[in-house]
Amino acid sequence: MSADALMLARVDLVEAWWVQILKALIIFFIALQILPAVIIMERKLMGRMQMRYGPNRVGPFGALQPMAEIVKFALKQDSRPRTAIGLLYVLAPAISILTAVSAFAIVPFGDAVDIFGAKVGLYGIDVSIGVLYVFAFGAIAFYGLMLGGWASGSKYSFLGAMRSAAQLISYEVSQGLALVGVLMTAQTLSLTGIVQAQEGMWYIVPQFVGFIVFMVAGFAETNRAPFDLPEADAELVQGYMTEYGGTKMVAFLFAEYLNMLTVSLLAVTFFLGGWQLPFGIDPPTWVDPLVVLGKLYLFVFFFIWVRATLPRLRYDQLMSLGWKILLPLATLNALVTAIVVVVVDNN
Amino acid sequence: MAELLFFVAATGAIAGAIGVIALQNPFYSVLSLVGHLLSLAALFLLLRAEFIAAAQVVVYAGAVMVLYVFVVAYVGGAEPQIRPFAPGLRRLSVLFGAVILIELWIALLGTGLKAVDGEGAPFDPAFGTPAQLGEALLTKFLLPFELASLLLLVAAVGAVVLARRRRGTDLEHDDGDAVSVIDALRPAGTGTMKEGVSGLPDVGGEPPGSHPKGTTRPEIAAGAGDREHEGGW
Repeated sequence: MSADALMLARVDLVEAWWVQILKALIIFFIALQILPAVIIMERKLMGRMQMRYGPNRVGPFGALQPMAEIVKFALKQDSRPRTAIGLLYVLAPAISILTAVSAFAIVPFGDAVDIFGAKVGLYGIDVSIGVLYVFAFGAIAFYGLMLGGWASGSKYSFLGAMRSAAQLISYEVSQGLALVGVLMTAQTLSLTGIVQAQEGMWYIVPQFVGFIVFMVAGFAETNRAPFDLPEADAELVQGYMTEYGGTKMVAFLFAEYLNMLTVSLLAVTFFLGGWQLPFGIDPPTWVDPLVVLGKLYLFVFFFIWVRATLPRLRYDQLMSLGWKILLPLATLNALVTAIVVVVVDNN
Repeated sequence: MAELLFFVAATGAIAGAIGVIALQNPFYSVLSLVGHLLSLAALFLLLRAEFIAAAQVVVYAGAVMVLYVFVVAYVGGAEPQIRPFAPGLRRLSVLFGAVILIELWIALLGTGLKAVDGEGAPFDPAFGTPAQLGEALLTKFLLPFELASLLLLVAAVGAVVLARRRRGTDLEHDDGDAVSVIDALRPAGTGTMKEGVSGLPDVGGEPPGSHPKGTTRPEIAAGAGDREHEGGW
């Protein structure tokens, strides 16, 4: 099997097929390892922010709590409501997790480097359509939530799914438009190209409005507080995953946290210079992935901080914010950026 | 590999298309259409048209079909059986089906079969990239592109105008001014959608619920006339 036969899309760097499979495994395992760390970090940090300890019983400092929980979830009896629709009920968490992991593949952790003579990109795939790839998988991920809510045969699940549907459509538009400014400034769709174009100045400075819109829409797209209406626990129990339990619910949670990581990493790539360090510091290439992970930590901290700080929005406030504030802002940002780019190019 | 993917995607596309018309439950029909569109996107990928594939998924599966699912999930469950056709329609559908079948056969026999033995169209590596697509749309096809966007704008404005008239088709007698019993009993500021959007009506400094039973509350009596015409959410 040649590399060309495997190549479905146009990519900037063609690698041997075994390198691609190896990379896929490594990226999946890294994501799988970051998530328990994020979960324990969230619970510990939220505990401290709310003047309590957080989990501190299992293992040193409670660090093995996610381990204990995953065992608990895995051993749970598999149950489903009598009204549930069998096949779709099982399929929904699978769709969620598949799309979340697929979208993760596009995040660049570093440039293409030489490893034992072979050129290997420190990313899953660098497609020519760039961030559209993420939006395409985001579009499919919606069906995970929707089918989960619908196939459960419960009104709480259904209402949660409906809310998430309206929320995702509303904020997807602003999120996409917010990135248009970056794409026009960098004049490329490739994510590694965008990082390289940020040498000298990160796009958070010239594209600050885009950054704000992207982050707010990112919170809404990942169903994180204060936009966690799809699973508002006071009204909807747990939203679309109310009827799920055991490993199926873990799959939903896993996908949700993975989406949060993907949005954070996209923000790092588009606005914080990816693997680059400021002030002309140029470390050896093996540091690059660590730089990206360090920046990721900042965003994860921010996500948790916001969750512990802000109350949930009401539904009409959510819609007003999305359509009446974020969308005009993002459009204006794209328009101004386009004018500036043309003016600068002509001089 | 490519051949295998082609047959998987082609089978998926055909099965999805058949499912749309053959399934009884409209929700499954919509899901089947989603499957069909995703298979088409896979076929676009095989043709090295990544941008079209991504646009197909984002626009159709991600936006258009989401609204279909939304509507069908809300109202589709009540009537799973499609109503029986009127007798005339059934005969007409056979006629139209036959016409389309003949047309497709003419197209297939006329031109489609010639390509089977050939190598296919010459493939330019840069063809179909977002950059080239954008350039073509903004230079060679500028007029159709702008006309299409104008058409979409008109459709969007039309949708907004129609949605504003949702309460009734007669704008002169909009019943937005009507006060329901619930409105009269409910203290001001207790969280309706309308209050959330347009703010509290001026209640004159008195806290809600402070009126003794039986008296008319001034804000209801005074406020009924000057309510906003379009408040509804």
